[in-house]
Amino acid sequence: MKRIIVCGLIMLILVLATGAIAAEKQTLQIVGSTTVGPIADAFAETFNNKYPNLDITIKKTGSGDGAAALLDGRCDIAIMSRFMKDKEFKNAVSKGIFPVPHVVAMDGVCVVVHPSNPVKELTSDQVRDIYMGKITNWKQVGGADLKIVIISRDTSSGTYETFHKLLMKKKEMVKTVEYVNSNPQAHARVKTTKGAIGYIGIGFLDANVKALKLDGVMPSRETIASGTFPLARPLFMFTNGYPKLGSMTHKFCSFYLSEMGQEIVEAKGFVPVTNY
Amino acid sequence: MKYNTRHILNKIFTVVTAASVALMIVILIAVLGPMIWRGSSAVFFKSTVEFRKMQLDLHRRGDKTEIDDEISQSEVYRDFIYHKIDAFKKGINTDYYTDRVKKIYRQFSKELQYNGIKGDELSRRRKFARGIRRDMEKAFRSLNKAEILQIIDNINKFKGDERIANTKAVEFFALADEYRKTIKNFDLSKRQQYAQALEEVESLVKQLLGPRSNEPLPAMIMDRYGATRLDLANELLGKIIWKRQWVQQSSGKPMIEEKICRSTQFAGTELEDLFPYIEENFDKITIPRFTFYWQYFIDDSTSGHYFGGVGPEILGTLILTVLAMVFVFPLGVISAAYLVECASENMVLRIIRMCINTLAGVPSIVFGLFGLAFFVLVFIPFFGGPSKPCILAASLTLAVLTLPVMIRASEEAIRSVPKTYKEASLGLGASQFRTFVKVTLPAALPGILTGVILSLSRVAGETAPILFTGACAFGSVPKSLFSQTRTLSYGSYDIAVGDKIGMLVPHNQYGMVVTLVLLIICLNAIAIFFRAKIFRRLKGH
Repeated sequence: MKRIIVCGLIMLILVLATGAIAAEKQTLQIVGSTTVGPIADAFAETFNNKYPNLDITIKKTGSGDGAAALLDGRCDIAIMSRFMKDKEFKNAVSKGIFPVPHVVAMDGVCVVVHPSNPVKELTSDQVRDIYMGKITNWKQVGGADLKIVIISRDTSSGTYETFHKLLMKKKEMVKTVEYVNSNPQAHARVKTTKGAIGYIGIGFLDANVKALKLDGVMPSRETIASGTFPLARPLFMFTNGYPKLGSMTHKFCSFYLSEMGQEIVEAKGFVPVTNY
Repeated sequence: MKYNTRHILNKIFTVVTAASVALMIVILIAVLGPMIWRGSSAVFFKSTVEFRKMQLDLHRRGDKTEIDDEISQSEVYRDFIYHKIDAFKKGINTDYYTDRVKKIYRQFSKELQYNGIKGDELSRRRKFARGIRRDMEKAFRSLNKAEILQIIDNINKFKGDERIANTKAVEFFALADEYRKTIKNFDLSKRQQYAQALEEVESLVKQLLGPRSNEPLPAMIMDRYGATRLDLANELLGKIIWKRQWVQQSSGKPMIEEKICRSTQFAGTELEDLFPYIEENFDKITIPRFTFYWQYFIDDSTSGHYFGGVGPEILGTLILTVLAMVFVFPLGVISAAYLVECASENMVLRIIRMCINTLAGVPSIVFGLFGLAFFVLVFIPFFGGPSKPCILAASLTLAVLTLPVMIRASEEAIRSVPKTYKEASLGLGASQFRTFVKVTLPAALPGILTGVILSLSRVAGETAPILFTGACAFGSVPKSLFSQTRTLSYGSYDIAVGDKIGMLVPHNQYGMVVTLVLLIICLNAIAIFFRAKIFRRLKGH
C-alpha cells in the first residue's frame, strides 16, 4: 500500500518534470493592475481560442507589482492603471529595460452616491472639500440633512492615485475617510449606505449607485473619450522595448486596435481609444 | 456537604463544557450553513435553455436534436418579442441606420482600394463620400422633420455623381429613402421620451435571451448566451416588468424608491402588451429544468469565472498541496529526529526551538515575499530554472510556511514513543539509525500524520504565500512544475476584488469557497483514514 503511494508520488513528480522539457508552448506572462485585469482576461480568452499553442497567465497584484515584475523580468507585459513613476523608470533603464507604454483603453473615475441622494451634481471644489472634511453634511451642497460617509480606495491603488492627483490636487484626505480595497467593495459600501460618497471606475456603474455630474459633466463614453470629463485616465500595457513585430506579445499589445479588441474593451465597461 | 458541593461543581463543569460545544456547533452551522447552501447552488440549480445551449456549444454535452428542438420551441416566443421591439425601435433609435451608413462607407473605401485607385484620386472620392456620410448621420440625429427631409433631398441631388457612380456608395440613396419612409408617419418628439427607456428594455431583454440568432457573435463567450440559470432569469424578469425609480417627495429629504410597471411607462405604444406577454410565457421562453451540474468540478471557466467550473483550480490546489507535503514531510521528520534523538539539551537547541516557534507565528505574506525574493529570484535560477513564478517555487514556499507546524508535531510524536521500544531495539544490537527507521518512526507515525493534517488544511487555504510565487488569476491547466497555476484560494479572492462580473455570479464565488472547504475535508479524511489504519496495525489488530 505504502509503496504504491510512494510510486504514485514519484510518477507524478516525474510527469510534471518531464512536462517541463517536453513543453514547447509559447508563454505569455502578464502581471499588474486589478483594473486592467478584466481587459487582459477577456483578451486572453480570445487568444486562447485563436492560438491553442499559446499559454497565457495573468496575475492581478496591482500596478506597482506590475512595474516591479517588468523590472525583474518576471513578466512579458505589465498591465497598469497609471503611468510608470520616475523612480520605476530610472530603475528600469539602469537595468537595461526600456518600458514602452501601450494605451489600451480609457477609464473614468466616477464620483458616486446612494441612489436615494437627491444631489445630482457637484463641483470639483465641493468634492475636494468633502474629502478634506470641510463639508460634512449633504445639506451644505443642497441635499438632505444627512451626514456624509466618505469612502475611498486604499492609497496603493491606481484609482486612488488618479483621484488624488486630478481631483484632490494632492491635498490630504480627512482622517474619517473609510478606505476599501477594491472597486466592488467601494460599490457595495455606497450601495448599502445612505449618506455615502465614493468613487469607482466607470465599468462598475449600475442602477444600484448614482453617478454625479462633476463640474457639470456626466461621466460617459463620449465625455471620457473627448477628455471633457475631468477624471479620465488611460490604461496601459507596458512592455520591455517595443515588442518584436509578429510576436505574441506584439499581437496581444496591439489587439486593442482591432475591431474585436475594441468591442471587448467596450463590453468590459471601459472606453475604447478610437471610434471604431 | 463537601461531597454535595463537589457534585454540583462537577455538574456545572459538565454543563458549561457541553454548552460551549453546542455553541461551537451552532456557530459552525451559522457560518458554514448559508455558505454551503449558496455554494451548492453552483452545482444544483434550475437551468434554462440557454445553459443547455452553452453546454452543447462549449463542451458538446447533451443531445443535439433535443436541444435544437427546445431552442426552436422557445424561438417562437422570442421572435414575437423581437418583432415587437423592432417595430417600435425603428423611429426611436437610429443607431441601426448610423451603423449601416458607416458600413457602406467602409465597404466603399475598401472597394476603391481594391480597384487600384490611389493617391489624390482616392482621397478626393473618399472625401466626397465622407461628406454624404456626415450629412446622413446628421439627419439620423435630428429631431426636426423638415430639416431631415431637406438633408435627404440634398443628398439625393448627388445621385449619379461620377465620384461614386457604380460603387457601393450608391446604397446611400436607398438607405436615405428607407429612412424617409420610416419617419414619414412618426412623431419625432417621442424619440426623446422613449429612447432611454427603450434602450434599457432592450439591454435587459438581451441579458435574458442572449444575442439574436441573426446578430454577429459577440467577442466574449459570456455575451453569447442569455441568462443560464432560472434564479438569474427571474431577477431579470422582475427588472423587465418593474422599473425601479427614485422619486423626490419633498426638497431636502432623501428620495424614495418607487416601482413602476413598464406597461404603464409604455402605455399607448406598441410595447404596452409586451411585458404581460413575457411574464405569461416566461416558462416557455426559458424552459427551466432541474440540473445537476457535476461537471462544475472538472470544467474550465470563461474569463472572470462567468461560466464554467473550477476544474483547473482544484487541480492546482491539489498539486500545490501534495507537492508541499512531499517537501515538508521528510524535512520536518528529519529535523524533529535531530532535535529529539541527536541534539543534546543545551542553549543552541533552545534557541533553535525558539526560532521554530517564532517561525510558526510569522504572517504568511512574509513567507510570500521571502519565496519571491529567494525561490523565484535566486534559488531556482541558480539551478538553471527560469526566474519566473512557478508551481515549484510556490510549493517550496508553502513547505517552508508549514515546516514549523510539522517539526513541532513530529517532535512531540517521536518524544511520546515509549523509551522501552527503543531500548529493546538497541538491546538487540540494532544501530541508532535502524532503530529510528524501523521502530521509533512507525510508532510515531500517527502523531506525525496529525501534523500533516494540520499543515494540509493550512497549505490548501493559503493565498498570500503563493500570490507572488506561483498563483495566477487566469491561465491554462499547468503543464509542468515551471508553469503557474490557478488555485481555489486565489481564485475566490480574484472574483471578490477583480471584475464587475464577480457581482453578477455570486453562486460561482460561493461555489469556489465551498469547493475549497470540501477539498480540505476530503484531504483530511484521507489522512485520518491512514492514521486510523496505522494506529490499528500498531495496536496489533
